[in-house]
Amino acid sequence: MALLDMSQVSMRFGGLTAVKDFNLQLHPGEIVGLIGPNGAGKTTVFNMITGVYKPSAGTIRFNGNEIGGMRPDLITQQGIARTFQNIRLFKELTVLENVLIANHLHLASNFMEAILKLPRYRREEAAMREKSLKLLERLGLLEHQNDKASSLPYGLQRRLEIARALATEPKLLLLDEPAAGMNPKEAADLTVFIKEIRDEFDLTILLIEHHMDVVMTICDRIYVLVYGTMIASGEPAEIQSNQQVIEAYLGVDEDAENQ
Amino acid sequence: MRRNTILTAIALLLLIGFIAVADNFFDLYIVRILNLCAIYTILGLSMNLINGFTGLFSLGHAGFMAVGAYVTALLTIPPDVKKQIFYMTPIMSPLDVMNLPFPLALLGGGLLTAFVAYLIGAPALKLKGDYLAIATLGFGEIIRVIFTNTQSITNGALGLKGIPNTTNLWWSFGTALFTLVVIASLINSSYGRALMAIREDEVAAESMGIHLAKHKNLSFIIGAFFAGIGGGLLGNLLGTIDPKMFTFTLTFNILLIIVLGGMGSLSGSVISAFVVTIANEWLRFLDEQINLGFVVIQGKVGTRMVVFSVLLMVVVLFYRHGLMGNRELTWDSLLNSKIWRGISARWRKTAVAEGGEK
Ligand SMILES: Nc1ncnc2c1ncn2[C@@H]1O[C@H](COP(=O)(O)OP(=O)(O)OP(=O)(O)O)[C@@H](O)[C@H]1O
Ligand SMILES: [Mg+2]
Repeated sequence: MALLDMSQVSMRFGGLTAVKDFNLQLHPGEIVGLIGPNGAGKTTVFNMITGVYKPSAGTIRFNGNEIGGMRPDLITQQGIARTFQNIRLFKELTVLENVLIANHLHLASNFMEAILKLPRYRREEAAMREKSLKLLERLGLLEHQNDKASSLPYGLQRRLEIARALATEPKLLLLDEPAAGMNPKEAADLTVFIKEIRDEFDLTILLIEHHMDVVMTICDRIYVLVYGTMIASGEPAEIQSNQQVIEAYLGVDEDAENQ
Repeated sequence: MRRNTILTAIALLLLIGFIAVADNFFDLYIVRILNLCAIYTILGLSMNLINGFTGLFSLGHAGFMAVGAYVTALLTIPPDVKKQIFYMTPIMSPLDVMNLPFPLALLGGGLLTAFVAYLIGAPALKLKGDYLAIATLGFGEIIRVIFTNTQSITNGALGLKGIPNTTNLWWSFGTALFTLVVIASLINSSYGRALMAIREDEVAAESMGIHLAKHKNLSFIIGAFFAGIGGGLLGNLLGTIDPKMFTFTLTFNILLIIVLGGMGSLSGSVISAFVVTIANEWLRFLDEQINLGFVVIQGKVGTRMVVFSVLLMVVVLFYRHGLMGNRELTWDSLLNSKIWRGISARWRKTAVAEGGEK
C-alpha cells in the first residue's frame, strides 16, 4: 500500500486553479522529486498535504487515513514533517530551542505538571533534551546549540529546518527546495546527506527542487507539474528524455537558474 | 548553581526584611505606592505572558481585572455592609450572605476571570493581530457596560464601597512573587517554548505539531487568571471600585509597562512596573497646579496621560526592544555586567589599600 496517496486533488484560489486533478503515490523508503517551473503549484501540493490548505477537491490518504483538510498539527502528529521554501525558523529562539519545540507534540505531561516540574515532566524534558542534542550532533549543529537561529549562516539555517522536521519523528519528510541558494559543491553534499537521513531515520522523502543534478541523482521517481497540471511522471532517465518536459521545463532551466 | 541558590535566598530574605520594615514604619502614602507597584507587577507579568511571549495582541486586561476585582470584593464585603451599599437595588441572593476569607475570595476571582477568558477566548483567539486587539478591547468595554447595568450584582454605576482593606504589602508582594515564579516556570518549560514558537511563526509552529488554539487559550486563560487576581488585590487595596475604574486607560498603563520593560522579558516587566507606577505618582503634579513662584501654571487633568502616551510612542519608535528586550536579568548576567564589575573592582582596590595601611 502507498504511504501517501493523492487522488484527483485540485486546489482553487478564487478563479485561479493552482493544482488540477493531481495524482501522486509515495511508497515507503522512496525519494521522489516534484519539479516544474515557478508558480507551477509545487508548494501548493505541500501545503495541501500538510493541512495548510484544504484541497478544493480530491482525496489525500496517508497510511490509509484521509488527511485532506485536517488540522496541520494533527497531520504532523500522524508522521508528516516539512521544511519551508522561505525558511521559517523560530528566529529569536536558540538552535536547541528550535529543535526542542518540535518535540513538544510528543509530550504527555500537561501544563500543570510542567509548571510544577513534577517527576514525569522532568523525565520527559530530560529525554527530549538528550534526543535533541543527539540530533544536533548528527546534523553538525551541536556547536551552535545556544546561538540564535537567525544568526546562523543561510546553509545552516536550512539544515536546522531539516533537524527541526526530523525531531517530530516523521515517516514522510517534505523538503521544499532544500538546495536553494547553494553552490554545486554544497548541493552535491546535500544530495549525500538526504540519502543518509532517509536510511538512518527510515524516511520517505518528497522533495521540490530546481537543481536538476540534485533531482536526477537522488530521486527514484519524479513528477513534473506545469501550470498546476501533471504532465509527466517516471524515473529520472524517462523524465530527462521526455519531449514535453524538455519543452515545458527542462529546456528553460538554464534561464530559470540564472535568475 | 549553588551560588545562585544562595543569592536568591539572600535576596528573598532582604525582600522579607524590607516588607517587614515598610509595613511597620513607612508612611501610608509610600506603602500604598509600593502596593500598587507589586500589583502592577502582577498585571504586567500576566499581560506579558499573553502579548509578549505568545504574541497575541490582546487588550482585554482591564476587563479581566474588573471581573477579578468585583468577585473578590463581593466575596469579602461583610453582609451587613452589602445591605447598606446596595440601597438602590437590593443585592441578589446568595451574594448577600456569601463571605469568604480573602485568599479564597482572591482565588475565586482569579478562577472566574479565567473562566470568562475561556469563554471569550474560544471565538476571539481565532482572530489574528489587530482583529484580536479590537475584539478584546470590545470585551473590556462590554464588561464595563454589563457591570454598570447589573445593579443587583454589582451595584451598577454606584460601584462597591466598604471593601475591607485586606491588601497589604505581604499580600501584594507575596502574590507578585508567586505570579513571577509560576509564569517563569511555565515559560521555562516545553509549554513556554511552544508559546514562543507561536509568537515567532504560527505556520511553522503548527506544522511542528503545536495545537495553536489549545496553546493560545492556555496562555490567555493563565494570563487572565493572574489579571483577575491583580484586580482583586487592587479592589481590596483601594476599598472602593466602580466600572469607570476599568477603562482602556488601565489596559494602556499595563501595555506601557510591558513595552517599556521589553515584550518577552519577565524581569523587564517587574522593573518597569515599579518605574511606571512610581513615575505615575511622581508626575501627579502635572495634573495639578504648578507654582513656579512668579507664575502659577494651571495643571490640566490628563497631562500625565499625555506624557505617558508620548513616552510609549518614543519607545516604540526609537527603542522598540524596551529596557530588556527579551533578555532576562539573572544572577549570572548581573554579576557579569559592567556596572557590577566596576563596583567590585573599586571595592577590591579600597580593600587592598586599607589592608596596606594597617
Ligand atoms: N494562498 C494563495 N492564494 C492565492 N493564490 C495562491 C496562494 N498560494 C499560491 N497561490 C498561487 O498558486 C500558484 C502556485 O503557487 P506555488 O507557490 O504552489 O508555486 P511553486 O510551484 O511552488 O512555485 P515556485 O517554484 O516559485 O516556488 C501561483 O500562481 C500562486 O500565486
Ligand atoms: Mg514553491
